Amino acid sequence: MSRDTLRGKVAVIGIGQSPTGKVPGRSPLWLAADAAAKALADCGLPKSAVDGVLSSPAMASSFHRFSVAFSEYFGIQPTFSNTLQVSGATAATMFNIGAAAIHGGLAEVVMVVAGDSMLSGLTPDLALRALTESRDQQYEMPFGIPVANTFAMTAHRHMKEFGTTAEQFAEVAVVQRRHASRTPGAQQTAPITVDDVLNSAMVTTPYHKLDCSLISDGGAAFILTSAEHAKALGIEKPIYILGGGECYTHEHIFLMPSLTTTGAVQSSRRAYAMAGFGPDDIDVAGVYDCFTGTVIMMLEDLGFCPKGEGGRFVADGGMSYGGKIPSNTHGGLLSFAHSGIPGSLFHFYEVIAQLRGQCGVRQVEGAELGLVHSLGAGFATNATTILGTESTL
Amino acid sequence: MISPQDALKKPVPTPDADSAALWRGLRDGELLLQHCGACGDVQYYQQATCRRCGGDNIAHRAASGRGKVHSFSVVHRAPGPAFKADLPYAVLLVELDEGPRMISSYVGGPPDEVTFDMAVMLVCEPISDDIALPRFRKA
Repeated sequence: MSRDTLRGKVAVIGIGQSPTGKVPGRSPLWLAADAAAKALADCGLPKSAVDGVLSSPAMASSFHRFSVAFSEYFGIQPTFSNTLQVSGATAATMFNIGAAAIHGGLAEVVMVVAGDSMLSGLTPDLALRALTESRDQQYEMPFGIPVANTFAMTAHRHMKEFGTTAEQFAEVAVVQRRHASRTPGAQQTAPITVDDVLNSAMVTTPYHKLDCSLISDGGAAFILTSAEHAKALGIEKPIYILGGGECYTHEHIFLMPSLTTTGAVQSSRRAYAMAGFGPDDIDVAGVYDCFTGTVIMMLEDLGFCPKGEGGRFVADGGMSYGGKIPSNTHGGLLSFAHSGIPGSLFHFYEVIAQLRGQCGVRQVEGAELGLVHSLGAGFATNATTILGTESTL
Repeated sequence: MISPQDALKKPVPTPDADSAALWRGLRDGELLLQHCGACGDVQYYQQATCRRCGGDNIAHRAASGRGKVHSFSVVHRAPGPAFKADLPYAVLLVELDEGPRMISSYVGGPPDEVTFDMAVMLVCEPISDDIALPRFRKA
């Protein structure tokens, strides 16, 4: 790894989130722009200060170049922009690439922004089919393979290899629902039990409805700039990007090297190496949670517990407050909101708010170092970002 | 965005130059795997070169059709309206005796009889004049 990495060179200075959950009649562009205006207000910058825009495609929008359409809609003409697409992993890649662009001089102020209206802009059938459209037209789609199915087959194999149970999967949903019950704006806040999860409708074995993420509307935006510029602007509590890593192990689920050990091992190892920290140092995490079993596998691959022990780790309170790594403290995709690619940006919003000490009753005491892991496409794509307060530099 | 009309139809494979032999073979009742003449690697996903060594001396050979279930998931919520009539059905990740894995679906019995490592056998099931899908039954 190059000695001159982006570690500590770039700070997140503004965060914004649109209304989330069910937001009828609002387009992906509106949701993105609403979040963008809030992120700018959060750091006191005018929109004219933004010279870079990174975004991702929206399923409920026909704009192929969403970052370009967004810039027009928002009334800015950036000199650096791209629409990134590596499915669910895109969120963390936007932070990693945005930081690299600033560190490399391509832009001074980068806005990371995305919005989608999967709930109100698509029918449930179309939302599921849109997600499924990303599977291979010849080798996968003809067999009626829902997006959940690829993840379900990994979780199923995890049960077979390590004895992980449906109850342990369900516990993830229960913990995150408890977290969501204290998060303003969360889509699902009513407490649930393990039995509720196991008694909810089967979607694709071993996943029940409550093992699956929500379908939502919503957008999020972040303002990134150099550490020097953040200082010059007098930003009260910049949150620094300390490390980033990615890994792409396959495209087709049948070419995934192992169903139970993923590219998150490599992506997080690279991020840890750049940051100079390890899993034991992390105070709070945002762990991509498209399905409950995904979280269990990620807690293992990100190094928070040994391989195969994720189920017991969660059942023993490992991802709860007071546990080894409080995770998805806003409720995650399972209970807060999942509007496609922006869904993982909500993990960033929460982890950054935790590091700023702004989470009120949800605050993880003394959180200085955070990790967000994004992934997608049946673990084909993995991206990790490590963030920290000034004390971690 | 996919249109509501398109969502009503099951996706049908459109062969390309890389995959034409595979689909011709399936239509004729055999699963053609690609064997690399240089390194001996066997691949199911069809392409012009060997993914392991990059060699382009690739020969098609019919697979035995035998494999075992590496993982599976029984679908109860269809990925769009086109598959609703088939529910519930088991999607299989089959590991072929020759090594490669492939996605398929289970035929010839109820989906709840599928188990890990269950021995399965290829069934080529025509869905049009030109296309037969490689499905698997209990061996």
